[in-house]
Amino acid sequence: MKRPLWTFLWAGMAICAATPLAANAYREKGIAVAVADSALMVTPTRDWNRLAQRPGKKAEIWTLDGEQLNDVCWYGGIAPGEPLIRERSRKREPLPKFTRTTLLPEIPELLEATYRTGKQIAAFTITGSEPDHFLGQEAVRFTYEYIDNDDLPRKGHGRAAIVKGLLYMATFDAPRLYYFDRSFQDFQALTDSATLH
Amino acid sequence: MASSGSAKVAPPPPPYAGAYQPQGVDEIGFWKEDDESERALANSPILIRDEALNAYVRGVLCATVGHDRCKAARVYILRTPVFQATMSPNGTLRVFSGLLLRIHNEAELGAVLGHEFGHFEKRHSIARFGAKRAGTDLLSWAAVLTAMANNSQTRASFNDLQLSIYGRLFRFSRDNEREADLLGIGYLNASTLRPQTASMIWQSQMAEAEASAAARGFKKPRFDQIAFFASHPPEAERAATLAALAAPDGANREDGADRYARAMAPWLPVFLDDQIKLNDFGASDYIIGSLARNGWTASLWLARGDLYRARGNPRDLVNAAEFYANAIAADPSLATAYRGLGLAQIKTGRLAEGRAALRHYLERKPDAPDAAMVRLLMADKEGTQ
Repeated sequence: MKRPLWTFLWAGMAICAATPLAANAYREKGIAVAVADSALMVTPTRDWNRLAQRPGKKAEIWTLDGEQLNDVCWYGGIAPGEPLIRERSRKREPLPKFTRTTLLPEIPELLEATYRTGKQIAAFTITGSEPDHFLGQEAVRFTYEYIDNDDLPRKGHGRAAIVKGLLYMATFDAPRLYYFDRSFQDFQALTDSATLH
Repeated sequence: MASSGSAKVAPPPPPYAGAYQPQGVDEIGFWKEDDESERALANSPILIRDEALNAYVRGVLCATVGHDRCKAARVYILRTPVFQATMSPNGTLRVFSGLLLRIHNEAELGAVLGHEFGHFEKRHSIARFGAKRAGTDLLSWAAVLTAMANNSQTRASFNDLQLSIYGRLFRFSRDNEREADLLGIGYLNASTLRPQTASMIWQSQMAEAEASAAARGFKKPRFDQIAFFASHPPEAERAATLAALAAPDGANREDGADRYARAMAPWLPVFLDDQIKLNDFGASDYIIGSLARNGWTASLWLARGDLYRARGNPRDLVNAAEFYANAIAADPSLATAYRGLGLAQIKTGRLAEGRAALRHYLERKPDAPDAAMVRLLMADKEGTQ
């Protein structure tokens, strides 16, 4: 009776040892990496941290000082019918979806609705959007402001392009006070280095 | 508690005892914590500081509970899209914008504010705290005793005790709600507003929940069952009780719907926008429909267009275009309706009409935040045609 139990335990321990715990990772300056398991390649112009916890299957967060202080969120190839981030409950709390007919000027609205629905907040404003060049494509660049559940006003900046029907986007969110202005150029340089492979 | 449907008319509120000061360590501590949280609340960036709106909501509270009582409350309106209001032990009354959107008149608002004031006047928070502490104290001692005489029978009795104490705590909370409902209607009965309207709030809450569930493909929710962990009585019970508690001679009083509509007019488009972007199609469509009972306005048509365009099925886009056109017919200066119309038409392949609508949008709002993006879209579609 004892043997199968021990075998089971040993096997379990071996599996635990073989899989490293989910860890944050270092993204070193000048080394090209794939982002969000997608065709998106980035060559950082300074060192960044990649958070292990991902907001969705096709999204990934990078930060300089820590979560919620300056977050760059990458969305790598969101397909039609998919939400931007993971849904808490697909049936009860669905998030808005990217669709085949979503137009570039509507991308900021999609992000707005995702934030409002996901965080259950009301104070969110899109402050501007203009044409941009991102990933070598015609793209949209937009700015927004919102107040998160921690009552801290934040500013955001997004760049998005639709390539072969898939949505690629990068957003930068940081507190309006100090953090946004300090690291905005880093976000700009980081997203300028992004290419599609 | 279907029997409460046969309740007598709610008695008028007892004479007001005047400003209350906390008694005993628990309550003094409670109030101190509350004062601290109120200080933070007063600086919150989501606070709506519009003086007229604040004065109006306060006015409705005073008209409901009486001018002496209402001095004990400070009203804070928060921009949060949920159907809720709370009043804490030190007299902080939080009113959420989602509540103001769903209410139709002063009598309904008075019923909700009166209910919250009832919790405050009866000091329910401290009573609930005491009940919770007594219950968990008893359970802790019972756990020690069970461990001392550890056999299957004592363990089974401990489990039974645990269930009955938790059940009692939730029932205590539901009974507090019933008492606050009774008091709230008592205030309304003594006021100049129509108390019968209070029951309508729960009727429309049930209808909204049904609409939301139907749009998401769920079964019709049950409103007559009490779940073990429910903190509030079920909506059907509340609707029936409130209707029974209302004084019959109040049925001919006014409900203040016109004054309410006037006071909300500057904020309605904002609150409506906050609601339709929550991706709850059924509830949002229900709310728009219920607001439109007094007649469709340009901002209601616009909200409906935005709601349908956001869901984005081909049939929705066709409907959205129609709703935007109605909004424009009601108010030709509404620039954002032209934007929505243009986008909906372009997405359904009506490129020339869509471009024309977008051109109207830019004519009316040349400095729109997305003007450059819309121009780019128009130029693109010029090429694809």
